[in-house]
Amino acid sequence: MTAVVRTEGLTKFYGRRRGLENLDLEIQPGEVFGYLGPNGAGKTTTIRLLLDVIRPTSGRAEILGLDPRDSRVRARIGYLPGELALEGREKARAYLEFMAGVRGGLRRGRIEELAERLEADLSVRMGELSKGNKQKIGLIQAFMHDPELLILDEPTSGLDPLVQQEFLAMVREVKRDGRSVLMSSHVLAEVEHVSDRVGIVRSGRLVAVEDVGALRERAIRKVEFHFDGPIPREAFENLPGVRDLVVEGAALRCTIDGRPDALIKAAAQFTVVHMVSAEPDLEEIFLAYYSDEEARHAHAGA
Amino acid sequence: MPTLVRKTLNDYRRALVGWTVGVSAFFLLYLSIYGSIAENPDFYEKAATAKYPGALKDLMGGLADMTSGPGYLQVIAYQLFGPLLLIMCAAVLGNRAIAGPEESGTLELTLTLPIGRRRLVVERFAALALGLLGIAVVTFVLIAGMAAVQDMNVPIGHIVAAHTGLFLLVLFFATLALAVGAASGSKALTLSVTGAYAVAGYVVETLGKSVDAISWLRWVSPFHYFLDGRPIYTGWPVGDYLVLLGASAVLLLVAVLAFDRRDVGV
Repeated sequence: MTAVVRTEGLTKFYGRRRGLENLDLEIQPGEVFGYLGPNGAGKTTTIRLLLDVIRPTSGRAEILGLDPRDSRVRARIGYLPGELALEGREKARAYLEFMAGVRGGLRRGRIEELAERLEADLSVRMGELSKGNKQKIGLIQAFMHDPELLILDEPTSGLDPLVQQEFLAMVREVKRDGRSVLMSSHVLAEVEHVSDRVGIVRSGRLVAVEDVGALRERAIRKVEFHFDGPIPREAFENLPGVRDLVVEGAALRCTIDGRPDALIKAAAQFTVVHMVSAEPDLEEIFLAYYSDEEARHAHAGA
Repeated sequence: MPTLVRKTLNDYRRALVGWTVGVSAFFLLYLSIYGSIAENPDFYEKAATAKYPGALKDLMGGLADMTSGPGYLQVIAYQLFGPLLLIMCAAVLGNRAIAGPEESGTLELTLTLPIGRRRLVVERFAALALGLLGIAVVTFVLIAGMAAVQDMNVPIGHIVAAHTGLFLLVLFFATLALAVGAASGSKALTLSVTGAYAVAGYVVETLGKSVDAISWLRWVSPFHYFLDGRPIYTGWPVGDYLVLLGASAVLLLVAVLAFDRRDVGV
């Protein structure tokens, strides 16, 4: 299958300032790709290059198998800009209908359906929409024509938690249909529950691409067991992946690195009264990536 | 009508209505006093000459026979005020074609529609031209009506010729604003280039007639190709109008090519 997004050595300099350097990225059909990085790292630059709003300094990009400069490809893409600007006296509905008209092929009632899901009011003039409501209109126009590829730049900014949940449900539906999503964020928590893979960009460079499932599997998590009576420490020593083991009477605390299988099987010999397992904090893993990268750069510079 | 042309015209609607009403009110007010001027030609001739001495009179196009029908129409509608008002309108609307939406950020979503960059500029231009044509038609009907009602003795053919020239002049400046906006994306630059060229062009054309040092510059003034043929007196200066039209075509081409090759919104 052809990748929906493929870049080779994609590079963008704004004068002498680096926006993005040497990006090699492939996103497969049906994949949700989380694109992470701090503000100013190059996420928006990448996205605007893919949409032909700006042109690369060098390297190339392909989107749905075509050159981004081919305007026809854009009918098959839904795009939400990071800094969405909607203004004027025009009603939101009229604007959405204009966009639908240009793209063509919209199901009847589709705009209303999405507006209802996101609780957006289409009768408001665009210049009078609040930040959150603008974002909703932006999401509607990105999703309404059921595009093969959605490119969403910081999609959840300004949305309240309930609408965020609805948005994530919409992303899952897109994925279920075998369509693809590229969404950026500066916080992992926003994308980790829907993304298959995440890429981390920093100072214009892609520093890592990871499978979310694998990351979670590899994540270090703290576990606590409480038993109905004192347990022997020996039963838990030298279990694969178990570290920082502390046994105090009927309680056991440790961290596990990877699968908890061996620990669970060992604990199963005794009567477990209570168990606590903290959700693995992927954010921490990413911060580790960042600081590694930083350390490497600092080292190289020294 | 292509969707983007319709959409752009829709965005321009309020401005178009406003400018049409304003410019029409101006023409209506000043043309309606022609009756009293025609009754006291000597008085008004002297008053005008006293009010605008020397070079100022040149700037007003000479004011040679402002008490005759054609002379009065020329002074009010076609010499300074008509072009001035309509070029301001053209610059404002031309600025809203690319530079305005680019600075406010709304152009980004438009660009990501399945419309090529070149087509976007051409459709914006079409909307701009149609909008200005609308104002031109309304003001033409008004002026022709006023001229007929007040027996101004101007052949309708000459009014058509003069008004066509006015439209072509205004279209030139609208296309200039579009081109500067398309090439630079800057509202301030667009307005200042368009405004400066309009003022300089007018001054050069009017004062250049008596100041030899700048008279050669008249060739690069768009006003030369509208005013010099005196259409209200003599009818169609076809060659001059073709120059205006050709210059607009070149500017449109520049706008299309410039916008097609640059980064937007950086």
